[in-house]
Amino acid sequence: MAERETLEVDVLIVGGGPGGLSAALRLAQLQKAKGGEPLSIAVIEKAPEAGRHQLSGALLDPSTLKDLIPDFASKGAPLGTPVDNDNIYFLTEGGKLRLPITPPPFQNHGNYIISLSAFTKWLAGQVEAEGIDLFWGFPGQRVLYGPDTPHREGAAHGRVIGVRTGDRGIGKDGQPKGAFEPGADIRAKVTIFADGVRGHLTKQLYRDLQIGMAAEPPQFAIGIKELWDIPKARLKPGTVIHTLGYPLREEEFGGSWLYAMADGRISIGFVVGLDYKDPLFDPHAAFQHFKRHPFISSILEGGSLVRYGAKALPEGGWNTQPHLFVDGALVVGDAANFVNSMRLKGIHLAMRSGMLAGETAFEAIHAGDTSHATLSAYKRRVDASAIKSELYPVRNVHQAFGGGLISGGLYAGIAMVTKGKLLPELSGDYGHHEMRKVDDYYGLAKRDVLVPSNAAPIDRKLTFDKVTGVHYSGTHHDENQPVHLQVQTDVCHSICGSEYGHPCVKFCPANVYEMVDNGAGGLRLQINASNCVHCKTCDIMDPYSVINWVAPEGGEGPSYDGM
Amino acid sequence: MILVIAEQKDGKLNRASLETIAAAQQLSMPIKIAVAGQGVGPVATELAQYGEVIAVDHAALGHYTPEAFVQALQQVVEQVKPAIVFLPHTYQTRDFSPALATRLDRALITDVIGVKGGGTPSFARPMFQGKLTADVQPQGPAPHFVTIQIGAFRADAAAKAAAAAPVSSANISIDESRLRQKPEAPFQEAKQAVDLSQAERIVAVGRGIKSQENIAVAEQLAKAFGAELAASRPICDNGWLPMERQIGSSGQTVAPKLYVALGISGAIQHLVGMKGSRTIVAINKDADAPIFEVADYGIQGDLFELAPAIIAELAK
Amino acid sequence: MKIAVCIKQVPTREWQPRLNDDKTWVRDQDVSYEMNEPDAYALEEALRLREKHGGEVVVCSAGPARVQQVIREALARGADRALHVEDDALAAADAFTAAAALTAAMAEQKFDLILTGLQSDDQGHAQFGPVLAEKLSIPHSTIIMEVNVAGGSLRVKRELEGGWFQYVTMPLPALLTIQSGINQLRYATLKGIMAAKKKEIAKVAAPSGLAARQKIVSLYAPQKAKQTVMIGGSAAEAAKELVKRLREEARVL
Repeated sequence: MAERETLEVDVLIVGGGPGGLSAALRLAQLQKAKGGEPLSIAVIEKAPEAGRHQLSGALLDPSTLKDLIPDFASKGAPLGTPVDNDNIYFLTEGGKLRLPITPPPFQNHGNYIISLSAFTKWLAGQVEAEGIDLFWGFPGQRVLYGPDTPHREGAAHGRVIGVRTGDRGIGKDGQPKGAFEPGADIRAKVTIFADGVRGHLTKQLYRDLQIGMAAEPPQFAIGIKELWDIPKARLKPGTVIHTLGYPLREEEFGGSWLYAMADGRISIGFVVGLDYKDPLFDPHAAFQHFKRHPFISSILEGGSLVRYGAKALPEGGWNTQPHLFVDGALVVGDAANFVNSMRLKGIHLAMRSGMLAGETAFEAIHAGDTSHATLSAYKRRVDASAIKSELYPVRNVHQAFGGGLISGGLYAGIAMVTKGKLLPELSGDYGHHEMRKVDDYYGLAKRDVLVPSNAAPIDRKLTFDKVTGVHYSGTHHDENQPVHLQVQTDVCHSICGSEYGHPCVKFCPANVYEMVDNGAGGLRLQINASNCVHCKTCDIMDPYSVINWVAPEGGEGPSYDGM
Repeated sequence: MILVIAEQKDGKLNRASLETIAAAQQLSMPIKIAVAGQGVGPVATELAQYGEVIAVDHAALGHYTPEAFVQALQQVVEQVKPAIVFLPHTYQTRDFSPALATRLDRALITDVIGVKGGGTPSFARPMFQGKLTADVQPQGPAPHFVTIQIGAFRADAAAKAAAAAPVSSANISIDESRLRQKPEAPFQEAKQAVDLSQAERIVAVGRGIKSQENIAVAEQLAKAFGAELAASRPICDNGWLPMERQIGSSGQTVAPKLYVALGISGAIQHLVGMKGSRTIVAINKDADAPIFEVADYGIQGDLFELAPAIIAELAK
Repeated sequence: MKIAVCIKQVPTREWQPRLNDDKTWVRDQDVSYEMNEPDAYALEEALRLREKHGGEVVVCSAGPARVQQVIREALARGADRALHVEDDALAAADAFTAAAALTAAMAEQKFDLILTGLQSDDQGHAQFGPVLAEKLSIPHSTIIMEVNVAGGSLRVKRELEGGWFQYVTMPLPALLTIQSGINQLRYATLKGIMAAKKKEIAKVAAPSGLAARQKIVSLYAPQKAKQTVMIGGSAAEAAKELVKRLREEARVL
């Protein structure tokens, strides 16, 4: 039986996305400037290669890139297509209204339409060139804590001393297979958590150390994205389109994007707040309806689907920022909910928070003190940085939409104009608490709760079913491994059906959850774990909070080439 | 002129040789057939129904070794001077044909599924695990070597000559000092796992079967067809059939002569595992099921009625 | 024992190819790559032989700069050093050209044993191994399930069709193509990945004058030659019609 590997480093970065890689690169820069004995730095990432699990629209605000890598152009940064024109539409069922002016947060002049996957790949190359160890295919499984030096009174454990990576080579029955390797213990003086939206390790950290409670509960949305190839002349490269309205109702938060890149390649996606009220609502179906709208279908006409994917995104803004530092650890990026939901941008914030965390870690290690007191410098840096100046004024925007599209829009408008002053602080609730019960929402009318309320026709030219989407996401998991969606199914098999109508079947964009005949006149939950695209929606949205997403065996999951 | 290298074992002709003849006959060129081994007289006579045969008979060819076959066939090719050499893409051919082509410094195109004539013939072969097909032309001087995928052509499509053609003996010598391999007698092993990729006929069952008890219907249909039983993923996920019977992107990829999809909708993950099958029959209640897009024959209807009816027909 | 393993980098299994403009090759933008799976089994076999008999395992690969990815992965799993014949033109090379590119560099090394996968998952020629063996004038055997080394010679188990097998003996040096699935692939450990960075990857220029042996004149999605024949009528009628057509038309019964 293989022995558990151990590794000691100065800084461990959990997550190889733009946040984590920026932290790594910043550390390398500081090191080079200071000279002397280099710090040992390691990055662990569950994807088998840089960028494979990265998904975003995306419109990159290059401000952080300019600060991190001033000569990014000569280093070949794949900035894709510069934004040429911005358009916002309000869609009705058959028509559209174009907003005559583009409000400043939606003005994207100076930004770039990029593939986050390609950008991350490039950024990883920059980090690798500095000699930093990047361990692809190594998901974190467990946060490691040291002897009890309580950070807060009543906290269960104390200092973070590193992370244990996932076991490899365990069968579906939980037994080791032939090539079994136990997870490795990586111990670090500072661990930087950059494991993305609803990061599964930061989730543990928040729970274990009770530091997840921010001023406001976290809020999320799901983004479902497709890449299409359409006739080249149809849309000018650099065209940015955002829509509101159809097919979402007044009570639902969300909208779409459509970005035209070079050579007829377009990125099209749909965002729905994970706080919708209708328990039988299906975000994927809403996306299909959206594509069928005459304006959108005229753009996609004659084109072909290239890639599909989905990911949750943090929507709650500044007030949902958790505690950012503890003894031995810092939290950056989407894991810290640093996304500007008004501008729909978070990459530059993830990168900046990564840089600031890197700077803080560097100082702390050289000072020989990585306690929360010293690491609190990170929070001070964040507060003094462009992160706060950008996120603070729009801190309540998403919460405002809790009152519906109109009031949300009004609030957002006022926030914009007054830069966040002159407005009452708003409170939100956990998104999954917003979901109403079937009886409550639909009255006592009988209905087949397994059919989404907004089911869309699937024609396999414009609209596709979820399973076809999974195929186009390039997702692959070894079937013979433990199921990585840990569900307390007693709820599924007792009250969920009558209370909420099994919403997991609808909100999962990958058909992971199915209610199938249990052979005894009832239904049972079937989990098609290998379909999972790692979006985290189920972990966020199930109304009973009985789903826990953990990382499957490393090196697997979607393959978001070009996303 | 095309030279077809037929394969025989212990005096029994491998039917893939006839498929190869059928492939060669797609190009309107005269054909000669060579067969190598020891005591190949009877097989040569059998092959003479299709064209002129060259018997390559030598003691050193009695038990296959790549070196002996390469030496012998090199001489035959040099004597016969064909424009193209066709071989069946068997395990044995895969073992020696690249070495033969290299020794003669000539192009070899393997695993061909289609032959296109014309000024310069081109050969269709699968690429990227069958996701694409390439039309390929050999480069460099003749002769060019081509191996034909098993089952891509039909043995019964090989046209027989008007009358039995002559059989001649090849005049070859083998330098036995260069035979460095010593093969032992072949043996059979009990089959460990189900290898659907070798099955000629497959009946695959999907969700339409509704329950585990009903799998028996699919089993009976498979038996009636003389086929192996396979399944789409949901059936294996349920544990109704073992994982090794799964066809699709997370299971096996197959291309049998006959594939009967019983109650399978045709999700793309399943299609990629079977759409290379020669003849596909789809039976499904839903006329819009994607499986019908890849089927050669489709019946929209209740599989619980159709399966017994088909079993009865097959018994006649 | 000095063991070579020839490893190819291929697009991932999940990749959906898109044709280039003149439809003679695929577009290589946004492609994810991985080690050719059959070669991974060859690598594993080589590492096990080294564990048993001592010596070194050398990874040999031909291709553009990006094949470093699979070379490093092989080094991370335990190979000792690597040889990379680097040339962009080798990205789409057929098996013969790839073998020709590696011949001189490998001949110089005087390997005792060369292992390759059965075929590549991208072009699937299944020629590389035997072509290389012929060029190096060493004996070879293909589709090998089991490798036994004793006193300068090999006894290998070859897979034949239809559930038959055969043992074959031959002297070293020799080349074998390894059947997939014969062993459990080991994972690369953290230490392995770190150590890989320090292992030697010798770069060798591709020999000049490598001419392609095949030319792709057209690349296309497989076409379905026939239209779907929908058979109607009652169950009995449809069954009768289907069986008739399968017997007489499709001739599969």
